[in-house]
Amino acid sequence: MIMSRREALLLPVSPWFIALSLLMSLLLSMLLGLSQALWLPDILAVSIFFWGIHQPRRVGMATAFILGLWMDVQHSALLGQHALSYVVLSYFAFSMHRRLLWFPIKEQMLQILPFFILAEVIGLLIRLSTGDDFPGWTMLLSPFIETLLWPVANLILLAPQRRASDPDANRPI
Amino acid sequence: MALESLDRSPPPFFRVGFAPLTKLIFFSALSLLLVFGDKQLQFTKPLRAGLSTLILPMQWLVLQPGEALSAMGTYFQNLEQAQTNLKAAELKVLQQSVRSQQVEQLQIENQNLRQLMGLQSSMAVTSQTAEVLFDVPDPYNQRIVIDRGQLKNVALGSPVIDAGGVVGQVTRVYPLTSEVTLLTDKDQSIPVLNSRTGARNITSGDFLAGQPMIELKFVPASADVKEGDLLTTSGIDGVYPAGLQVARISHIERRVDISFARIHASPLAELKGRHVLVLQPSAASALNKGKAP
Repeated sequence: MIMSRREALLLPVSPWFIALSLLMSLLLSMLLGLSQALWLPDILAVSIFFWGIHQPRRVGMATAFILGLWMDVQHSALLGQHALSYVVLSYFAFSMHRRLLWFPIKEQMLQILPFFILAEVIGLLIRLSTGDDFPGWTMLLSPFIETLLWPVANLILLAPQRRASDPDANRPI
Repeated sequence: MALESLDRSPPPFFRVGFAPLTKLIFFSALSLLLVFGDKQLQFTKPLRAGLSTLILPMQWLVLQPGEALSAMGTYFQNLEQAQTNLKAAELKVLQQSVRSQQVEQLQIENQNLRQLMGLQSSMAVTSQTAEVLFDVPDPYNQRIVIDRGQLKNVALGSPVIDAGGVVGQVTRVYPLTSEVTLLTDKDQSIPVLNSRTGARNITSGDFLAGQPMIELKFVPASADVKEGDLLTTSGIDGVYPAGLQVARISHIERRVDISFARIHASPLAELKGRHVLVLQPSAASALNKGKAP
């Protein structure tokens, strides 16, 4: 049964924390991009997907589009390449945000993996269709690493919303 | 009497804005338009220039950890290493001073000969040094970003060299920075001259066994090319001044079934070094215009 799992009630989210976390993951993504390693995960994509699942009213496709343009300019890629994959990611986050959180975390990871792969493939297809060469197979590792980061994102990004657990006789949770 | 008979808009509680599918279609169409515009129509140039200036502070912030690390590395580099470097540098200067004295003499001689023959004298090239900020993260092409831009009069198409030879060409100019496409990029071509035989060729970037190389295009299988031949810029393109070192031929593959030889050369420039020299395009300086051909 679903209700048999013990789950803590969360405090309301602070919009400032959302903005700060997106900014930090943007900086991290920019920093990781500088190393030019293809397998490194796109932290920003994980953040956008995470907030798209947990706060779909606050972080939507418009935010994803603007952050994507930012990454395009930073990467000096084609304008709109990252924007498109982030927008698609954000759309699928919205479309499954009511369902996903009812599953345990491992099954959540199984369900989000295809969307990270899709986001990677969209970027690849855009570049291949404009006449660029395939950069290397290690780039297909990054969606898997992004999926492995999902529990980490859960731990870090929900931390300010969790309350300290000190159950006593009057407060069972 | 009001035209509307009934209020059909949803109560505030149910207002969620546009449908997600509408938003997806709108933003996807916008992205694809930008992709197409960026690749084919070039109308996104001002947008990119504006955005790149906007993200400059963040870029600077992101570069700091690397800078700090390298600064620390330099600090802890031991004295012995520094002395060896100094010795090597001194030796190089000594070798070059011999050559530069010869150059002085040769230049005068050349000028005299040119005057005798009534040829147009070659132009002196103006240049400025620039620092390499970072390699462009995009894995599909090979570019570097340097810290000189429009405000320092970097022109689009300017050749960029370092101590070893030609590095590449400025392909995007922003107000404060500019992007240099390395000569090992797939879309970058340089007309070269084989300094041993005098044959002119055109090169383009290529990967050979994962190593960035340049490939000589359209060389007949029977052509006189040897491994170790030095390629220099021929200067006929009006962009690169003649005589800059480009690469040394490293691999030659002649096959019977193809009428062209597959020839690869390894670039002499360091390509990922710290400082580069941005030259004014020779045609532009000759015409006194800031535009690249």
